[in-house]
Amino acid sequence: MFSPDTHVLVVDDMMTMRKLVTKSCKELGFTKITDAADGALAWAAIQEANPPIGLIISDWNMPNTSGLDLLKRVRADGRFGKIPFIMVTAEAEQHQIMEAVKSGVSNYVIKPFTADILKEKLEAVHKKISAA
Amino acid sequence: MPQIDASFFKPFVEGTLKTFQVQCKTDASHGAPFIKGTKPEPIFAIAGVIDISSSTFCGRISLCLTEAVFLGMMERMLDEPFKEITPELQDGVAELLNMIFGQAKVVLNEQGHTIQKAIPTVLRADQLVATQAKVVVLPFNTDLGIFHIEIQSDS
Repeated sequence: MFSPDTHVLVVDDMMTMRKLVTKSCKELGFTKITDAADGALAWAAIQEANPPIGLIISDWNMPNTSGLDLLKRVRADGRFGKIPFIMVTAEAEQHQIMEAVKSGVSNYVIKPFTADILKEKLEAVHKKISAA
Repeated sequence: MPQIDASFFKPFVEGTLKTFQVQCKTDASHGAPFIKGTKPEPIFAIAGVIDISSSTFCGRISLCLTEAVFLGMMERMLDEPFKEITPELQDGVAELLNMIFGQAKVVLNEQGHTIQKAIPTVLRADQLVATQAKVVVLPFNTDLGIFHIEIQSDS
């Protein structure tokens, strides 16, 4: 599993979802959590964060810069391209999931979800990283 | 009766039950659908609304909550108490509807509907105006009170 010291960035335009994801991260033991209300603010946080961001958990549907746009931007930048990126979405249609996978998403969480579901997804990502 | 196939309702009922159970730790039960205006209704304080335009259905889906139900659900979802509906908190109703809609959309599109992604909006009590269109009400009951999913067809 990820270290509790991992700096987590939670991105969602809705305050209640930022609170929900942050609460779930705290339940999983994470102690350093930053949040951002849209993709542009998230990108700024990624560039300025100290300690560096070690995990991004982002909503998909956001105005202006969507979660998918943010994912593509992160993956295209050599400095941040390997940060694990979890997409949170209410859209569970196969073609949308495939689009995220093609763009390099590490895993995805379909809403509604619990902290246990998030934990399963994070463990799968960590296992994949450890095996690489 | 509005011309909405009953099979259109089922994914919304199932999505609602699952969303409230998983996200708000609340078991809801659903009653028989009825036409809005034919039965007494609670005074709703807030609603999430999604406009839908597809080849098979044009209209809107609303999740209507009383103040007590909304605040109680937010408390259960976020594990903190809330005394009033603030501008920051009100997006919670849109998010709950987004989850319900997301689940229903998958099932409906598998059945041949072509429902696209849509962003929910929030309406407060003073913005909830009566409509001339016929609206099907899917009533739900919880330990915190009654809430509705309302389906308005424009077609």
